Amino acid sequence: MSKLYPVQEIGSLAKPRWRTKGLTQPLSSKDLVEAEDWAQRLGIPDFQDRAKLLLAAQEQSDRVRELLELSTIYGLRLFEQTGLDNVGVGGEQQRVEMYEHVIRGVEGMKVLGHVQSFDYKYFNKAVAESKIHRKHPIYLQEFLDVKKNTKGQLKVPITGPYTLIDWSFSGHYSGGRTGLSLKKQKQETKREFLLDFVEQVIRPEIRDLVDAGAEWIQIDEPAITTHPEPADMELFVEGWNETVRGFNCKFSDHTCYPSEIGYKVLAQYAPKLDKCSHLALEFANRDGTSLGVDAKHREGYRDLEYFIRNGYDGEFGVGVVHVHDFSGQVPPGSGKEVGRNILESPELVRDRLLYAAKVVGDPEKIWANPDCGLRTRTWDVTFAKLISTVKGAELAREASV
Amino acid sequence: MSPKAQLGGIYPRSEQLIELTRSYDRAKTDLDTVRRQIEQDTIALVQLQEDSGFETFSDGAFAWQDQLRPIVESLDGVTTGTRYDRWFDTNTFYKKPTIAGKIGVHAFEPKNFIRTDLLPRTKSWKVTLPGPYTFSELSENLHYATQSDLLTAVATAQHEIIKRLKDAGVSQFQLSEPCLVYRPYREKPSGGQELDNALAAIQKAVDGIQAKFSVHTYFGDATTIIPNLLKLPVNTVGFDLFETDYSQLKFETTKKLALGIIDGRESNAESPKWIAETATRVSKHLTGGDLVLVPNSDLKFVPRKVADVKARALAEATRLFEEGR
Repeated sequence: MSKLYPVQEIGSLAKPRWRTKGLTQPLSSKDLVEAEDWAQRLGIPDFQDRAKLLLAAQEQSDRVRELLELSTIYGLRLFEQTGLDNVGVGGEQQRVEMYEHVIRGVEGMKVLGHVQSFDYKYFNKAVAESKIHRKHPIYLQEFLDVKKNTKGQLKVPITGPYTLIDWSFSGHYSGGRTGLSLKKQKQETKREFLLDFVEQVIRPEIRDLVDAGAEWIQIDEPAITTHPEPADMELFVEGWNETVRGFNCKFSDHTCYPSEIGYKVLAQYAPKLDKCSHLALEFANRDGTSLGVDAKHREGYRDLEYFIRNGYDGEFGVGVVHVHDFSGQVPPGSGKEVGRNILESPELVRDRLLYAAKVVGDPEKIWANPDCGLRTRTWDVTFAKLISTVKGAELAREASV
Repeated sequence: MSPKAQLGGIYPRSEQLIELTRSYDRAKTDLDTVRRQIEQDTIALVQLQEDSGFETFSDGAFAWQDQLRPIVESLDGVTTGTRYDRWFDTNTFYKKPTIAGKIGVHAFEPKNFIRTDLLPRTKSWKVTLPGPYTFSELSENLHYATQSDLLTAVATAQHEIIKRLKDAGVSQFQLSEPCLVYRPYREKPSGGQELDNALAAIQKAVDGIQAKFSVHTYFGDATTIIPNLLKLPVNTVGFDLFETDYSQLKFETTKKLALGIIDGRESNAESPKWIAETATRVSKHLTGGDLVLVPNSDLKFVPRKVADVKARALAEATRLFEEGR
């Protein structure tokens, strides 16, 4: 892209109440008040016609299909209205979440129950009960809906195979190994499970997406930096290279919230990732909030240096806005604290981008994005953050002239 | 040699409790309802331990939001903001403590740590705390001049907390020290002055308190530091059998070895037979001491029904081990 500092979405948006409720029960016109309000704000001219269809749907499957497409349109319009250069798939409105959405499409995987993630947040964890294979396309319908409903540049985020197996119990794959230490047995199990996931689930999915016209696939691998041991990193690289083998498509990696040295280690292996021309990383979460384009003010971005030092020469999607709860100081000019959110100012976004460009040494390699998906923020907060990101990118462009 | 089975740390919440806490998070359920279910979860775990013949009881720590939180909430000078850090290489997170001032212990309710009111009076009660080294390593130090100063302050505070819990009737304390062995970000295994400081801190935390103590390591290979841990004034030293290559070790000790022999990170239920056979193999490396069979880490990383199967298998394995002697 010739424009400096293009802005992209990175993952999921919050699901509107009407979308969530409508998946399991019929909606009333009262349920759609919020949808109507946002339809006006986002410019969805056929809302009334679509609302009638939703309310009149007799079959649950008809209602769900209509809901998923409509909520995807909302996500796309939100991204378009805020001025993003890449609108992804409209905030992943058609997915449960990044793990379970895939697992439910895989024969041989069984959801076992919930495991705590943090505090009162949990995720459903599955086990491989038998050899796995894909039951049906997982992301294809969403991509087709997106393609039909926008002219914007697209990118399909998918959950990476390493993360999927790391967040699952290996079950079936852990049997039949003797004569090795327990640790070695676990490593062998992990490799077999990973490579099966790549061959049986992920590659068929990418094939479908590419055949349907997908030109950019973002592979989300948050789990990789949690295992910064060489054996795991080599396995990750092996799985990645097998995943992308033979596909004519742009691939990027998104890895966020790493362990203490996660990015330092990822940086050593990133140059070995075939066809990985873009890394989308999280930095705002760990950065200070005062303005400035030097290392002292932009401490959160220092890990970028590792990638340059190790010879990674692709683009960087730089996290410039925080996506979780915030508590801390926001100096004048850097934004404001609203409830549990920080609304970063365009100037703070600008400084983060300019500093990232300085470290990388080439502003043409820098994209702006939130740290991760904005699904834990309200749409109002998301809207404000994305507007700020776009304005901040404009300021950075002006400063780069 | 007569091994006993013990649980420790955070046990997984039941699906009912999970549903209620999620509902509470969405402001659709009140806190009292959540608390009642926490009691129900605790009672169910007590029952499981009774039915399975456990002699030392844990309460499951169902109200603990992470492995550090009750300690943090008992200390002056330590805060948590909204920053979550990953708990080692798991897909779970903890609120990172910030050391913002001089550490002290303020008044706290022992039931924040352990629900002694729900545990059987005739059994001994065990609570699991993060060891001082691990707590210090996982905190952000904004106050003390050196990490060593922080470590000493944490150990002093923990000593006070342990004393108060002892006064509340707790007789066994597990100090978990995964940071001693989980070191992918360090070039060398634990050693030198840093290890000496860590061991001194553990010693300070337990010093003079008449209770049973275990130091337990997990998520890493404890081979190189077990000899050091065995010199500590504690009753039991534990390690993660899924990470530690014990084949070259020879233990000569009067202490107990706690074998982390069921995997809190995999859903496959180890069979009692496999556990007993594996424990028997490890016992051949031990002269003089005794074995305790424990999970390698907290069991919160598996769903509740999986944990229940594993806990029962652990107890059954002690009987098989006995029979096979």
